[in-house]
Order: sequence, then structure tokens, then C-alpha cells
Amino acid sequence: MKTAEAPPPASAAAPPPPAPGGATGRRNLTPYWLLLPGILWLLVFFAAPMVYQASTSVQTGSLEEGFRVTWHFATYWDALTEYYPQFLRSVLYAGTATLLCLLVGYPLAYAIAFRAGRWRNLLLVLVIAPFFTSFLIRTLAWKTILADGGPVVEVLNALHVIDVTTWIGLTEGHRLLATPLAVICGLTYNFLPFMILPLYASLERIDPRLHEAAGDLYAKPFTTFRKVTFPLSMPGVVAGTLLAFIPASGDYINAELLGSTDQKMVGNVIQSQFLRVLDYPTAAALSFILMAAILAIVGVYIRKSGTEEIV
Amino acid sequence: MTDTTGGDVRLSGISKTYGSFTAVHPLDLTVPAGSFFALLGASGCGKTTTLRMIAGLENPTTGTVELGGRDVTALPPHKRPVNTVFQNYALFPHLDIYENVAFGLRRRGIKSVKKQVDETLELVELGPLARRRPHQLSGGQQQRVALARALINHPQVLLLDEPLGALDLKLRRQMQLELKRIQTEVGITFVHVTHDQEEAMAMADTVAVMNAGRVEQLGRPADLYENPETTFVANFLGTSNLIEAEVAEATDEELLLTAGEAKLRLPARRCRGAARAGDTILAGIRPEKVSLAHADEAGSVPEGRNRVQGNITDAGFMGVSTQYVVETRAAGRIAVYEQNIERDGRLVPGADVVLHWSPENTFGFDADARSIHGVQQPAGEGV
Repeated sequence: MKTAEAPPPASAAAPPPPAPGGATGRRNLTPYWLLLPGILWLLVFFAAPMVYQASTSVQTGSLEEGFRVTWHFATYWDALTEYYPQFLRSVLYAGTATLLCLLVGYPLAYAIAFRAGRWRNLLLVLVIAPFFTSFLIRTLAWKTILADGGPVVEVLNALHVIDVTTWIGLTEGHRLLATPLAVICGLTYNFLPFMILPLYASLERIDPRLHEAAGDLYAKPFTTFRKVTFPLSMPGVVAGTLLAFIPASGDYINAELLGSTDQKMVGNVIQSQFLRVLDYPTAAALSFILMAAILAIVGVYIRKSGTEEIV
Repeated sequence: MTDTTGGDVRLSGISKTYGSFTAVHPLDLTVPAGSFFALLGASGCGKTTTLRMIAGLENPTTGTVELGGRDVTALPPHKRPVNTVFQNYALFPHLDIYENVAFGLRRRGIKSVKKQVDETLELVELGPLARRRPHQLSGGQQQRVALARALINHPQVLLLDEPLGALDLKLRRQMQLELKRIQTEVGITFVHVTHDQEEAMAMADTVAVMNAGRVEQLGRPADLYENPETTFVANFLGTSNLIEAEVAEATDEELLLTAGEAKLRLPARRCRGAARAGDTILAGIRPEKVSLAHADEAGSVPEGRNRVQGNITDAGFMGVSTQYVVETRAAGRIAVYEQNIERDGRLVPGADVVLHWSPENTFGFDADARSIHGVQQPAGEGV
């Protein structure tokens, strides 16, 4: 056999077949048109303010003389060294509140998903019912609930619960208002629905026959939860903790209304720098540091929990 | 739990009601150890509820479940030496095949599971797929995983809830043989729930036909087919021609029947219930046991056979066989399945024919049984 007759390798190197519809040279542009409003929205209300804030953070000057970009990166360092306690407090309060949300929200979401029967929709409406009232009003209501001499403080004092929380360092002086506990409770309350809804969504998707199968394969009810239900609800756990933690760590309303000067979070600092002190560069720098910190924490968390599906 | 010999499954007076609806009427049933037992019935007949009561997934309203002489009625599923192959497999989606199969062993605190898991995966021919996730497997493969996951525990009883329902016909036939092979190999008692009468007959040693929460008849597949005790069984297992006839003469050996101008003979032992002269009964004959001769050859039909004259109204060619519908004056419509060995070209719709069959193949019921029972089941595929 002659080598010249070997089949040409052209077939192997043939160009890939044209994409469907590509023969006419027309692309389907519909998806891009559908994306356009969203992209415009993000450009105007997210990207542009970000650029503006980034430039503000490296400006110097004063309100009277005007601010100019001087690439003064030292603002970042100064802001961090001056306000790191508020940063740490934000992470601590938001983290604790997120954990409490998970502890309170998981059983609730579980009950709604598996045990509520025909009450399921009503309970879901109740979960989001607080949203019918303004965030501010609800937090002010908590101020009344936790007020000195109020029934809650009285009862908890009588039961010596406040002695325990004082010993832990969450309260002081037999009161609830103006303590870390009040701020954490407010955060937990305000962000609980953001935890429950994703948890419910992922629990509700679990086939109840998997519980039967686990029981059939000698798993006790708690083992079934640990080995089947909880792992399958991980996407909801991750989504819920992120949805609670991210806004909670930037929140300032709860610390403002339920805390004292000793409970200021970084959100309070940013708010006062922007609106009271009018030190725009420091406020902008603080915002960027907070954003970077949250991104870092979330990134590590997602990697640890091994769930790529939710991002 | 690791006792492979197991014991009988004994259900005593077990029933299940949901509000005013009775899913299972009080039922006594014994499944001998090591047998392949099928619960056969249309959907909603209570067969799955019965299975779930054995598994412990439903609490019986009354009655007891005994496994190998031990009353397990009050035990939750995780304490019963029973495993289930669920209808849609219910594999754990977050675990790979290996961990799915190892699940039961691990829950019982067995540390070194590798050897057993490998062996069980080998048994169902899935060794190379051990590290795949369930969603990466085909339906047939998932079915094998579900089987392996249950079998590895060596339960006293393996419960199968329509395990082949989601597979296509060819794969289903193949898995039937495979399930039978595995059952013989491991010797575990299988209780199999199905609505497919061919599946039940092909695999089971004993079949219980259920209808509306009751067991209609229980026995070996061939006995059920040849000697149905109720019209439901006669119609649900395959197809039956039921002919209303009057008893003209009754002896200990034989009943002489008249249906219109036709005279039929029926062995007395094959008639359910006491039939005296003058009673109206139903005589049954399976379509494949009826022979068909053109009216011109009526003379060649041997003496002593039951014969009915009629006219072909429909003929369906099925490959191996031809299915005829013959309108008779004496017995109404009769279905006849003829093997396509030597086809008589004259047997076309419109032709006058003589139907004849051996009296031995006739069965009968006393007429309080209603003949429409079970006919909602489509006629059996092929012959």
C-alpha cells in the first residue's frame, strides 16, 4: 500500500460545524436586549457610585475649600487604625446574630417544610409579615419592648437571666437597652426572614421518601437529620447565612436605636462621617474596607462550606 | 439483622383506614421464608400500603406484623430487619454510589465496609461506577443501586415497591430475570409489589392478587392462571372469556351446561361454589385455549369438545399470534388467540367459524360473581 493513498487528515482538522442558526449570519440578540435594563441599572446605580466613592476615598480637602483627588491612600490606614474596634464589633455582632438566626430559623423552616401541612402558606406569610411595616418602626418597637422597667426586663431580672448575660458580658446594670444583647437581638429579629426563606426553599425540595429510605436503612431520626436532611439543606444554610450576615454587618439602625456609644458598629461610623462630620474621604474609605472585609469573609466561608451552587 | 435465613412474614388481621376510607381490609397473610412473593393489583388496591406496613412506614390500624416469629408491629422502620427498594429508588443525591450502598452498614456501626460494598456492587454489576453520583446514572443503573443498598444489609425480608415501574419494557424484562437470579443467589425473602401481571407471574413463587383492599386469591402463578377463583382474578391475570350458562345436569364429575343452543361440558372440580341443576353460572375459557375452524370444516372437529358457532368480527395480526374476536349467538363475544403456525386464509372478518376447546380447560364460577371485575386491565401483551 502506498503512503500517498493514506486518507488526508483533513477530516480530523475539519472546522467545527457552524452554530445553529449561524448559517444565515444572524445572531439571536434577544438575550442581550433582555439584559440591557439590568445592565443599565447596575451601571447607573452601582458602578458609577462605586467609582465616585473610590475617587472620594483618595481625596483630601475640607468642605469649605472643596475636595481634590490627591491619591492620599493614607486615609485607609488612618480609618482602619482609628475605627478597628467598630469593625470587629460589626463582625462579632453580625456573626452572632447570623448564628442565632440559624438556630431559630432552621427549626422553623423545617417545621414549615415538613410538618405544617395545610398551614404551610399561612406560616410563610407570617414569616414575611414584618416586612409590611418599616424596618425603622419595627426597631423602634423593640426599643419599647426592651425598655428599662418594661415587662421583659422585669421578668428576665426576676429569673436571673440578666445576671447570666451580664456575666457573659452581653448586658450590664440589670438592663437590656443600650447593651450588646439588645443590638444582637435587634439584628437577629430584623434579618431572620432572610434566613428562613432560603432554608425553607432548600428543605422543601427534599424528597420526603429520602427520610423514609434513611429510616429503612437503620438511621435513627436524628441520624437521618444529620446524614441526609442537613447535608441536603446546605445550599439553603449558605444562602441564608449570607443573606443575614452581609446586611447585618453593614447595619447601623439597630446599634443606633438599641445600643449606646459603646455598641457603635462600623455602619454608625460611616453614617456619622458622611452626614455629621462631613469627612467624605474617611467615610468612603471605611465603606471600601467594609466591603473588602465582607468579600473576604464570604469567600472563605463559601470555600469552606464547599457549595458553589449558590453563587 | 444479619441472619440470612430469616423467617416467615406473618400478617394477622392487619388493616389500614384513612378516615372513612379503608385502604386495606383486615388481612391474614403468611409469606414463607426464602420465597419470592408478589402482591399484584391495580393502583389503589392496597398493595403498597400493605408493603409499607411491613416496612414500618405506615402504622396498621389493626392487626400485627410478625417477622420470623417476632412481633414487630410497634417497631419503627430503623429497628426492623427489613429493607425496601423504593418505587423511584430514593437514592441519596448528595452521596456517591459507594456511600449510598454503605449507608445501612455504617448506621449499624460497621467500620470496615469496603469488602461488603465491593461485593454487593459486583453482584449488581456496578463496580466501576462506585464513585459516581446517582444523577449520573441511567434509570436501570439507579435501580441496581437501590437494590444493592437494600441487599447489603442481608435483611430478613426485602420489600420491593414497583421497582421496575420506571424502566422501559425491554430493560424491565431483563431486570425481572436478574432479580430472580439475585433472589435465588442470596436466598432472602422478597415481597414484591407490582401492577404488572406478567412481571408477577414471571418472578414470583407465590402471587397474591389484591383488589379493593382485599386479597382475592393467593397461589402459584400457574394455579392462579388456570384456576381463577374469582372473576376479578380471571380477568386481571390475562384475559378470560366468561360465558353465562345454565346448569342442565350436574353429576359429581361433570356439569352439563346450556348457553343458547350450545351445550358445554365443565369438570365439576373446576367449578367454584356448589352448582345444582337449574343454576346460572359463568363458564370461563382462556382465549389461547380456544381453537378456530372454518364453518366448512365443522365436521373435522373431534367429538367431545365444547363447540360454539360464530362469526369473525375482528382479526388483529400480532406476529406470533392472531387475535380474533368472534361474535357468537350462544356466548356473546369470544376472544381467540391463534398461533400463526399454519394460517387459514379463509379466517377473515365476516367468515363463519366453529370455536372448540377441551372441556378440561373450562373453568366455572357460581353466578353471583360479576363478570366485569378486572376487565379495566388491558388485555395481556401477546400470548
